[in-house]
Amino acid sequence: MTLDLAMRWTETLLAIALIMPGVEHIRAGGKERPLFGLRLILCLLLLYPEIGAYSAWICLAMSGLAVLILHRFEGPYNGGSDRMSLLILFCLTLAHWLPQENWKELAFGYLGLQLTLSYFISGWVKIRNPDWRTGRALRDVFAFSAYPVAENLRGLADRKTLLLAGSWLVMVCELLFPLSLASKYTLIPFLVLAASFHLSNAMFFGLNRFVLAWIAAYPSIIWLQDRFIGG
Amino acid sequence: MLRTVQLILPALIPSWNFFDVIAPSPRIEHQLLDHAGKPHGDWQAFRPRPDNISLLTMLRRLIWNPRWNESLFLVSCAERLSQDITPEHSEREILTRMKRDLQAETDAAQFRFRLVFIHREDETLTQEILYTSAPEPLA
Repeated sequence: MTLDLAMRWTETLLAIALIMPGVEHIRAGGKERPLFGLRLILCLLLLYPEIGAYSAWICLAMSGLAVLILHRFEGPYNGGSDRMSLLILFCLTLAHWLPQENWKELAFGYLGLQLTLSYFISGWVKIRNPDWRTGRALRDVFAFSAYPVAENLRGLADRKTLLLAGSWLVMVCELLFPLSLASKYTLIPFLVLAASFHLSNAMFFGLNRFVLAWIAAYPSIIWLQDRFIGG
Repeated sequence: MLRTVQLILPALIPSWNFFDVIAPSPRIEHQLLDHAGKPHGDWQAFRPRPDNISLLTMLRRLIWNPRWNESLFLVSCAERLSQDITPEHSEREILTRMKRDLQAETDAAQFRFRLVFIHREDETLTQEILYTSAPEPLA
């Protein structure tokens, strides 16, 4: 995959990821409506197949809007998913505007690196915590955190064996993610597994914005693997 | 400018420490008040989650989930307010959304909210009230 193609895929997936959140904010009203209205227009423009060199200007404008939106909410509106969207947007903008090819690669490769770290560090901080190793932490998530989307899901907190197995599955997969870069034949199955993980989080915990935000960064890791490792 | 850098840096250099520890979890509760500030009834959970939701609803919410996403934002505001991080902004965001919801449900004159944090001590879930707002007119 070439750098240009990977960037084009990333900006297309990012535009798709930002459309529904934009519509949500526009419908909710409030002072942020013009910001999200403008961002929605830019997202739709970014989806236009013949956008060509204008996508650099659109990414720059979206980055400016993203800063205004950060100020509006004094931080990200939806935590990690907004942070990933911002990271993608800033890396894309830099990759568009930096003058030399290797600098562009550095900016876009940084996104692939951060995507890898997003899984590895999540696994690392969990496995260092005894509560995660015993399954207690995941039981607490179901028992009293704000995330389960329905009260009946809290009953899963009593399924100790299931949640112990689930905890270790999550930690091991997150920690092994960097090894998937060894080959595209290991990377693609890992990305499918990771996307399924985000999908289950969306269904059980309502974290639907994470799904497309993370998937939008996948072209960067596919490009990074192909560019520096191959095979 | 400094504030902009403070807001952007966590996105450029993320920590990625999702769920490293399961911190005390906030619940927002409200109480309706009359003109004199006398309570109408007991404290009630704001936007209580349903007992169960269908698979179809879960699938639909993969695409369209504005109310839940707003509730997650309110959880962030509750955490920030309890930690004294941008407290005026967080309180205003919570009050604005509560007022919008409660105006559609009740004709009470005022309301107030409190933040109840739930955490585990050994095998027992315990609650702690960390913040109670001043009365806010609903009209």
